[in-house]
Parts: sequence; structure tokens; C-alpha cells
Amino acid sequence: MSNFDPPFTPEGTLGPFYPGVFALSGLPHNLNEIAPILAHRPAGQPVRIFGRFIDANRVGVPSLIVEIWQANTYGRYRHPLDQSALTLDPQFDGFARIRTSDDGSYSFSTIKPGAHPLRDGSTVMRAPHLRFTIFASGIDRLVTQIFFDDETLNSTDPVLNCIADPSVRDRLIARRVSEGEYAIDIVMRGEGETPFFDDWAR
Amino acid sequence: MVINDRESETRTPARPLIVIPAEARDPFSAVPAVPSVAPHECDLTRIAPGRPQAAGDVIVIKGRILDADLRPVRHALMEVWNANTHGRYSHSEDASSQAPLDPHFYGFGRVLTDDHGFYTLRTIKPGAYMARSDIGWWRPPHVHFSILGSGIRLVTQMYFPDEPLNTQDYIHMIIPELERSRVIAQVHDQHSFRFDIIVRGRYQTPLETTV
Repeated sequence: MSNFDPPFTPEGTLGPFYPGVFALSGLPHNLNEIAPILAHRPAGQPVRIFGRFIDANRVGVPSLIVEIWQANTYGRYRHPLDQSALTLDPQFDGFARIRTSDDGSYSFSTIKPGAHPLRDGSTVMRAPHLRFTIFASGIDRLVTQIFFDDETLNSTDPVLNCIADPSVRDRLIARRVSEGEYAIDIVMRGEGETPFFDDWAR
Repeated sequence: MVINDRESETRTPARPLIVIPAEARDPFSAVPAVPSVAPHECDLTRIAPGRPQAAGDVIVIKGRILDADLRPVRHALMEVWNANTHGRYSHSEDASSQAPLDPHFYGFGRVLTDDHGFYTLRTIKPGAYMARSDIGWWRPPHVHFSILGSGIRLVTQMYFPDEPLNTQDYIHMIIPELERSRVIAQVHDQHSFRFDIIVRGRYQTPLETTV
């Protein structure tokens, strides 16, 4: 492979005027729904994730867009490069797009993702996690991953353990508040700032 | 980061992004099921087929989307939005603008790239507008693009050539100088522009070197 970079198009901010109709229609808002009023049942444990996006002044960030991507309950992604023998669920795509409310809050329903080997055949396991891609006025695209506080694999997850400080690592771990309900706030900047990842690194 | 943007100051992470070590990366970036898009959605110049044409200059924007290996990005969802000819968005958040709304212009549309990664859009050439009067910041005419497809994701803004406001715009000038020309459309003729996009790959699977 060549080390020469093609002329990549620079990323930019979403700006304040992203049409609400794009955020609110066309793509799913929950990951466990295929269409309204359709009797279907993706395999796995239904869970709801909720919280707030907060800025440096501890104020909620409204109209922020989050795209969520995850494995199904068996730990399999609906992705052409996921060639593992784990089961694909015909009723689970693993993608949704949501928009925060005026107070910065968000909530979505999904199936708790399964753990999976880092790559096919790898002995390193990824703990169950959700992948967040975040867009808003004032920022360029940000990515992070959200974990669950009742999963023992967190202690050996290779992405979570990129973060040296355990108190910073904890900022990516949603806490179980009741059966099937997990809460996590995302702090964009300042005290308690959520760790974000560089997914363009070579 | 945009220096003179109040939202940026409170939302941009202060800590550096964390680089995941190569051995802990996987290539499983999102592959969403892309929704269907009606043919008329690529025409922003009318709010619906058969309705009157919006005010201003009708322009055509064509281009091609390529991935990091310069392969066409097929069937990607492009969401496009821009201000009207007076520099006003038909968005409830743009209520403070003094520029008039155009009842015949919503200013957003969608298109899917074809089998070879090409797209074509029709819109009204957007006007410039005052982004912040307290510092006299004008945004030059620009069109917003969001591209969502198989393993690729890009949000960017396209600018027009020979617009004097380009070099005074904080959002444009934050782009490294050598890369700025990549977000400026090429003139095809008086009313049509070419805007090609190359999307960086994320943790792509090595093709020739096996792990």
C-alpha cells in the first residue's frame, strides 16, 4: 500500500441549521424497531439508554445529532467485513440516529450488544459497547464508545484500557439504574470531560 | 475548532483525542441501511414538484464520492442544505436573521450516489449572511453536505470560487491552507459546478499486509 494520502475532503461542522426533517425522519431512532406497529422481536435483552449532552458551562446541548452503531446480542455486526461465525439477527440492523431535546437530553431503545472477539479468530474480547458518532453546531464529528457497568469484560477491554486513568475510563461506562435501564451523560468539555477517540489515526 | 464561535468554545473537547493502538482497532464502522429517496428530492429549487421555482440563481452541482482507496462510494445518502438567495435558512433557529424567507424555498434535499459514486443536485445559489454582528463575521455563500454510507461518514461545507468572503470566514480559514481548495467547487459553466469528495477511511482493514 502506498503511503501517499489522496486529497481528502476536510470535515466541517454541522452548523446550527441542520434540517430537523433529516434528523427526525428517514432513519430509525431506536435500534430495536424496524417499523412502527410491526410485530417483531430482535433477539436479546431490550435496554433503554438515556442521559444528557452537557457543555463546559454544564448546560445541555440541544439539537445535537448522535448516530449509534453496535453489534447484535450475539456480538455480530451487520457489516461486510464481519465474517465471524456468530449469528446475524434478521430483525436487528444495529444503527439509529437521534437528536437531543432542548435540554440536551436523549434516550433510545436497543438490544444490549453482545461481546465479540476483537477480530475473527482473535482471543482478545471486546466488552459489550455502543459506538457513538456525534455532530453539533460548533464541533466537528466526534466519536466515542459507551460500555455497561454490569459487564466483567470491561476490565480487559482493549479500547477502554487505552485510557490510563480509571476515573476517566469510568466516564464511558453507563450505570444501570433499573432492570434494562442505563444512564450516561456525555460532557463535551471541561470538568468530567468524556474521552473521545481519534478514528483517523494511521 | 472555530476560534470565534461561542458554541465551539464550550463544546469542543479540551483534552486530546485518544488514539486507539493499532492492535486494538477493528474495521466495524457503521453500515446503516440507507433509506429510499424520491427522485425529486435532489431538486431544492421547488418545495414540491409542480410548485413555483424559488427566487435566485438555479445552479447544478455534480460530483463523485470516492473512498480512501479511490473506489466509488455507491448508494451513499447525501443530505444537502443551504440558505436561500437572501442568505436566510428556512430553519426555526435562524429567526434572528433580517433577510427574508422565500416561501418557495425550503433549502434541503437528499440524493443517493449512483452505481459509480456520482450525484447531481439542483439548488438555488445561496446568499452570504451575517453570522455574528458583534464581530462582523459574514459567512460566504456555501452548501452543507452530510454523507452517510457503507463505512464512511463525512460532514462538510462546499464553497464557491472567487467569493471575497471566503478568506474572511472563520469556518473556512480554520481548514489547513493546502486543503482549502478541496472544499471549493470547480466551475463547469456559468450555472453548474463540480464538487468531488474523497472520504477518509476509518481503521480500514489492511488489504495487502495481513495482521
